[in-house]
Amino acid sequence: MGKMKKWLRGLLAITLILVLVGCNSEGSSGNEGNDNQGEEGELSGEVTLWTGSLSGDPFDSYFEEIEKAFEELHPNVDVIIEDIPFNEMEQKVLTSLTGDDVPDVVNLNPHFMANIASQGGLLELTDLVSEETKNSFVEGAYEAGIIDGELYALPWYLTTTVTWYNGEHFEAAGITEIPTTLEGIYETAKAVTEATGKPSFYQVINDGNTVIEKMVTVANGEPIVKDGVAVFNENPDILEYFTIMQKMYQEGLMPQENADGAFSTGQELYMAENVSFLESGVTFLGPIESGAPGVFEVSKAGPPLAGEQAPMNVAVMNFAIPSKTDNPEAAVAFMEFLANAENQLEFAKVAGTVLPSTKASLEDEYFTNPGDSPKALGMMEAAKSLERSKVLLPPIESNAELRETTKNVFVENLQGRLTPQEALDKLAELWNKAMSEAGDKVTF
Amino acid sequence: MQTKKMLNKIFVYLIMIFIACITVGPFLITLFMSLKSPSEGIYESILPQQMTFSNYIDAFEKANFGQYLLNTVIVTALAVPLNLVFCSLAAYPLARMDFRGREVVLTLIIATMMVPFQLYMAPLFQLTGNLGLRNTYFGLIILQIATAFGIYLMRQSYISIPKELEESAFIDGANRFQVWWKIVLPLSKPTLITLAIYTFTFTWGDYLWPLLNITTSEMNTISIGLAKLSQNFDGANMKLISAASILSTIPTLLIFIFLQKYFVGTTDGAIKG
Repeated sequence: MGKMKKWLRGLLAITLILVLVGCNSEGSSGNEGNDNQGEEGELSGEVTLWTGSLSGDPFDSYFEEIEKAFEELHPNVDVIIEDIPFNEMEQKVLTSLTGDDVPDVVNLNPHFMANIASQGGLLELTDLVSEETKNSFVEGAYEAGIIDGELYALPWYLTTTVTWYNGEHFEAAGITEIPTTLEGIYETAKAVTEATGKPSFYQVINDGNTVIEKMVTVANGEPIVKDGVAVFNENPDILEYFTIMQKMYQEGLMPQENADGAFSTGQELYMAENVSFLESGVTFLGPIESGAPGVFEVSKAGPPLAGEQAPMNVAVMNFAIPSKTDNPEAAVAFMEFLANAENQLEFAKVAGTVLPSTKASLEDEYFTNPGDSPKALGMMEAAKSLERSKVLLPPIESNAELRETTKNVFVENLQGRLTPQEALDKLAELWNKAMSEAGDKVTF
Repeated sequence: MQTKKMLNKIFVYLIMIFIACITVGPFLITLFMSLKSPSEGIYESILPQQMTFSNYIDAFEKANFGQYLLNTVIVTALAVPLNLVFCSLAAYPLARMDFRGREVVLTLIIATMMVPFQLYMAPLFQLTGNLGLRNTYFGLIILQIATAFGIYLMRQSYISIPKELEESAFIDGANRFQVWWKIVLPLSKPTLITLAIYTFTFTWGDYLWPLLNITTSEMNTISIGLAKLSQNFDGANMKLISAASILSTIPTLLIFIFLQKYFVGTTDGAIKG
């Protein structure tokens, strides 16, 4: 009996300790009870920033400096910076909005931004951000933060498309120039495959977005959708694109794994020297450098596989402010501080593979004369194509549906289960249905 | 006859080796990848040419895995015993005591297993926020303290124990709590071990709840650390991720190896007849 009492007492003690530990541990990151505006309009209180997948050095040191610098400018503000796995950022922000523990500034992309904003989760910034700040950004990147004429985010860092190729393979095949036409891509792939005995070209598909962007690039200024109706199935250039892709896949110039189409699959194949060239951003090289140092050394960057004037996609990372922030003044000030030219340039240097979205930073020697390492060459090519870059797939409600159907039909086309024209007609039908159901009357 | 037996044996062994390769192979490839030096390509060969532990050191020094590991150990060390205590206590009346509404209570508990976590995570997030449990260890283990699965599993185990054992204890003067503590619980050891392993593996690898309830890097668990590494801005460093994956797998392996011997039934021959 005594033993039993002891046991019960122990159990109660553990429960009590845990409750006390739970209640006394570090508080939440919310901003409860902040007095955000001190006397004479001076900013005060906490500002919490959520960054996406930017933990570890060199980013930790960069954000420590940012925190210190902003707190020196505004001594009554306490900056808190937390890093979140980026894929889960949208869900985490949406969940936080159901409670009161919301961050004050979040790092999103245009699709996450559009979805959260459509649910009333983001602060409208049009009147909160100065004209000077608005004019400091590259046009295409700035426009990615606008939905229906209202500003919801400021652009931060960017990636644009360049061509990555294995210099040794190209040399062995006698290729000296990066192709800019679809027929040229086919001829290059054929020559490299003949030289290496392996598939040579990889088309990144991802969740379908990359193919849609490529379709817009190939259309070269002609809209692929007019007022919510798909017209790409009547475009001869897009038909040629689908035809060439199918031909290359069928002839083994593209690997079987291309049906998966993931960016990471492309990286693995490139590392294993099972493909020799593809289009991607500069961040593509990150795992190559650590995973296949030999391949990294012979990697070279070139302009995108498209005509010189063809529009290119820019992938934008941005900053937005959740509508439930209880410190909007400090949040806007901190967001502008993060996105200013000086801090963006410093971030681009620290990251080494991205472009800033501020015009002034792009004029720095770091981008105009970057050196001759594979990454530096990639950065230079990316900076060159930035002038003609914008977000090619607008953030519309049917976005997810369009991407999914594109991926599926593109793969059916690759595998020859449909003729290229049949694939385009089927895709147009699916897009029209999705856009009509969502009420998207867009042109792009 | 001898030859036929031998052939059968060889066939069985070949199948077992094949299955072992499929199950252990990926683990070994990850292990070898984690031991490769910075100058080696991950696809150059399966075995590391210049074996190094630098990726493990980097996991601790650069990716803060020591802190993530410590947090996960604390959370799991609290969650597993508490889950066993509360589930085994809650299950007993549902298995052995007659009271009005017993079946309704049981049905309600089981029904909660049918609701996907995604449906109630938002209200749960609000609740833990209101209770001040955001960024706390207690906030992380609260979902594991008493689980419907654990209660149901323990109840099923209690039901399988012959009633006669408890009745003879009552005749000897034991009260209800003593019967549970001294008779029923020891006989449910294999189920308790199963539940412990299940709770351990679930808590150790849980991703969504820590992701939602934790906003400070200092409180991150190992699953979030791994996600951060694999979603790294500059692309995933596969050697570092492999080292981190091996580190996160070792405790689970050890627990399973040490506890597997308890998976044996204990009531065989407990009553005559």
